[in-house]
Amino acid sequence: MAHIVTSVLENRPVAQDYYELRLAWPSWAPAPQPGQFLTVRTVDGPVPLLRRPFAFSGFDRADSSARIIYQRRGHATTLMSAKRPFDPFDILAPLGNGFPDPSSGRRPILIAGGIGMGPMLFLAERLAQTPYPGILIIGARSAQYLPRVVLSHSVQTILCTDDGSAGRKGSAVDIAREEIRQEACAPELYLCGPHGMLAAGHELAEELDAPAWVSMEQTMGCAVGACMGCVVRVHGGEEYARVCTEGPVFDSRTIVWT
Amino acid sequence: MDLSVRIGPGTLPNPVGVASGTFGYGSEYEKLIDLSIIGALYTKAVTPEARPGNATPRIIETAAGMINSIGLANNGLAGFKTAKIPYLRTLPCPAVVNVAGAKGDDYARVIEELADEDCIWGWEVNLSCPNVKTGGLALGTNPAEVEQLTARLRKLSSKPLIIKLTPNVTDITAIARAAEAGGADAVSCINTLVGMVIDTKALRPVLPGKTGGLSGPAIFPVGLAAVYRVAHAIKIPVVGLGGITEADHAVQYLLAGAYAIQIGTANFIDPTVHQKVLDGIREFAALHDLQTISDFHQFID
Repeated sequence: MAHIVTSVLENRPVAQDYYELRLAWPSWAPAPQPGQFLTVRTVDGPVPLLRRPFAFSGFDRADSSARIIYQRRGHATTLMSAKRPFDPFDILAPLGNGFPDPSSGRRPILIAGGIGMGPMLFLAERLAQTPYPGILIIGARSAQYLPRVVLSHSVQTILCTDDGSAGRKGSAVDIAREEIRQEACAPELYLCGPHGMLAAGHELAEELDAPAWVSMEQTMGCAVGACMGCVVRVHGGEEYARVCTEGPVFDSRTIVWT
Repeated sequence: MDLSVRIGPGTLPNPVGVASGTFGYGSEYEKLIDLSIIGALYTKAVTPEARPGNATPRIIETAAGMINSIGLANNGLAGFKTAKIPYLRTLPCPAVVNVAGAKGDDYARVIEELADEDCIWGWEVNLSCPNVKTGGLALGTNPAEVEQLTARLRKLSSKPLIIKLTPNVTDITAIARAAEAGGADAVSCINTLVGMVIDTKALRPVLPGKTGGLSGPAIFPVGLAAVYRVAHAIKIPVVGLGGITEADHAVQYLLAGAYAIQIGTANFIDPTVHQKVLDGIREFAALHDLQTISDFHQFID
């Protein structure tokens, strides 16, 4: 974890209200891993006040850059969407724990919903370079919310929409269920997206007796483990775990799903 | 100039502290901040029993501020001793343990059990947490109870004893005078202001506990006025906090009568704020030829 004052390289729309921001990554800074996140200070002044967390959607050591995908939906993200190349970008990163490697013999099934696509794209690219590339399933409400990003040819990708306006019709978790049945593989699930999708992914994992890794979200204060703000309920000794420190990636069986 | 601050029997190396609940126990920030420049680290509250904290969400951002409802989540005395004390022993700055509880006995027990720990510089008694059903704010709004509890805690330890005051009262100076009469070495003010946000789509308060504690730049003028009034009502030192995000805010607290300050919510936003505030205090002192912190108090009557 470090305080990094860097600059924007590129900030472009990749779907309706979705942007991909590429930032310069200093050579001294630790490399981000899929599932990890940064927090950005969007302005110098008091509004918006808190740093905003975003998961990494990619990292390129060769050209010293990292990427995030964010959705423009409030004041802070509207300000971010106006950032231009060379604008300063003040971040704390990399934060939290990333996704673990798949267990031996298991087929990684990556399930992304909406803005959860960022870390799944990063993980898919990473796994494509290993002997166990997975299947990436990206779900969105409709065609305009699907990302226009270029993936390596080695990443097997399935797009789906709730309304059937692009790709297959259905939820990303339902499509995952069908794919796993067809392939008759022993899967390991990786999920990032809305809470309901994560809960459905956990249920699917239970049905299949498969491990599932979920990236959890919660309103965040400090993002370094001090304020106890960003907790989620978990099973086990402690009642709550901090998304910023114990997460954001959790074994889905540790989460109390409500 | 001499930046040191005398509070009762203790001395802080400089007036720039970090507020309880915003800085954990220090370890959380050691990779981001040089802890040796911190004048005092006020720990996350310690209660006798471990507390899981409140239901979620626990934080909501408001205009130039945030409302929290953490609920004194902490490992309790036993957890503090095994998991936190060893770290505090290595801390390069003074550690002030923030003490909380549901009743007077709880506060007494925390101080009694930790009284002999050399790594603890002093106590900040949290008589002002707005996010728990009993103790905290409920105890801190009655002058007679504040005086009685302060006097009781005073007997348990010779370390500096600071009473943290709530702004959620009609007259904060009455509570400050009660703490002084009870034998406190200093008071710190202000804790958070009770605040609320309603989700108009869901038709319910955003926080499950309905209300929480407002902090951040929005409360700076409230904290400053409280410190000004309290500093002119009592003789013991006042530690000012509430909404400090830059050096000028800290200088204003010192001018208003504070001997030290705490940075709270700004810890979440700017890891360079402590150095900037410290530098700004030095620059102001040099500009006006001030030799000690009390020299800041000569301008505002």
